[in-house]
Amino acid sequence: MAELSLQHIDKIYDNKVQAVFDFNLDVKDGELIVLVGPSGCGKSTTLRMVAGLEDISNGHLLLDGKEITQTPAKDRDMAMVFQSYALYGHMTIYENMAFSLTLRKENPNVIHKKVLAAAEILGLTSQLNKKPAQLSGGQRQRVAMGRAIVRNPKVFLFDEPLSNLDAKLRGATRREILLLHKRLQATMLYVTHDQTEALTLADRIVCMSMGHVQQVGTPLELYDSPNNVFVASFIGLPPMNFYDVKVVGDQLQGNGFKVTLTPEDKMTLAGYEGKEITLGVRPENFIEGEGIKVSVTNNENLGMNTLVYGTGEGGVKVTAKLKGWKNFKVGDTVSFDIVRKHFFDKETTNAIRGDK
Amino acid sequence: MSKVKTPEDKYIQRDRMRYIKNSACSNLCYLGLLFDVFYFVLIYRQDVGTYYYTIQIGASIIYNLVFMLAVFLASEAVKNYKKNYSIVLLVAGAMQIVRMFVIPAAAHSAETLVAGEEVMVMTDGTFTKAIVYLAVSAAALLFSAVLNYIRCSALEAHVKSLENSKA
Repeated sequence: MAELSLQHIDKIYDNKVQAVFDFNLDVKDGELIVLVGPSGCGKSTTLRMVAGLEDISNGHLLLDGKEITQTPAKDRDMAMVFQSYALYGHMTIYENMAFSLTLRKENPNVIHKKVLAAAEILGLTSQLNKKPAQLSGGQRQRVAMGRAIVRNPKVFLFDEPLSNLDAKLRGATRREILLLHKRLQATMLYVTHDQTEALTLADRIVCMSMGHVQQVGTPLELYDSPNNVFVASFIGLPPMNFYDVKVVGDQLQGNGFKVTLTPEDKMTLAGYEGKEITLGVRPENFIEGEGIKVSVTNNENLGMNTLVYGTGEGGVKVTAKLKGWKNFKVGDTVSFDIVRKHFFDKETTNAIRGDK
Repeated sequence: MSKVKTPEDKYIQRDRMRYIKNSACSNLCYLGLLFDVFYFVLIYRQDVGTYYYTIQIGASIIYNLVFMLAVFLASEAVKNYKKNYSIVLLVAGAMQIVRMFVIPAAAHSAETLVAGEEVMVMTDGTFTKAIVYLAVSAAALLFSAVLNYIRCSALEAHVKSLENSKA
């Protein structure tokens, strides 16, 4: 059992730069939490604070209800997997995996059992006599994970473990991490800037920006009900389209286009009559229809889908993800209808939800 | 108090050899090398005029070079459980014993002229040191050879049993 609790955690460096602001999170036993955000948002700093590699300026860190804010890294019973693998080049894979346990002077026979078990889980049994330089990037990352597994820690920490891998390997290793999590049922904290990793791996995602937590929720919650414009723009690929519009009766009036509101939309926007808001539309929520008319500027076929980029009257830009293989030419005129809309307050950038 | 080893412990110990280098044997080789170096430094730094200026000392120097190369290569080989190198180590160890009866034995009973005075080539103290260095070197190499042979045989049998169980 390993429940982790981060309470009002701040990180302020000696030069007074604050990297993390009032971070609060309760991680349940066996949960895989992904911290996601752009570079410099404080996600790695948060992970390093949990690991004990950075001091916590303010706040409390609890593991299974026990305060570990000031506990040295070696006594926290956490194992970290780094982007750069951090393997010892002169040691074999077996020795690399056994190293931390050897340092702790564990019984060699026990170490052997643990290393073989971890190697079996990760499919590394046949590689144990090799040196890291003889392995591929994906295999090296598995060794790094194996080194964490043998310690049987309470919490696994992953700091962008897949960033050094090519796209194909990244996908494969991602699936391995997911299987590993299912098999070990361990509590894991995973940092990435790749939203695909976040969406596919996480039980819950913590989306961060500029040191602040923007939203904590399941992948579907973040995708379907983003808290604000930042989360809406960060989650989803290609990113959401945003338009400044005015609520006029049962219509949204934008620069060069009009969108009719459904009765549900009208209920959501009650109180915003005559006001300007931000309309968000995911590329996959556009379908060919009669609404917004644009001139095609680019057409990218992805196989199952086609990305259509266009510019409409008043300079309105549209990125649409249409099903199937389309062959629009530059300059063709296409009209789109919107099947799902997201509304954001223009001043606060927060999502407008009917119940609030 | 040492624990009684269960059959499982013994099995794991053998299985570990598949992944752990044979450092004990390799280190014993280095020990043998080190004491050989102590021995020849002791002999070559003696100030006994021209006593050692014979073909024998030339052969000794060449032998030392060959010995060091052979033992070093053997140390690397036994580290990776190469059974045949036990023979190299056995020969090298035996030769160290033989060497006790060559230069030290001859020099211990000899006298030579240094600056017009008769002096003993090798005092009792130097002789004892030389013999101890060669003896330790020989013991280390012989022990390494035997240990390597036992471990390699155990590993071979273990790997064979694993292959049989897979088949």
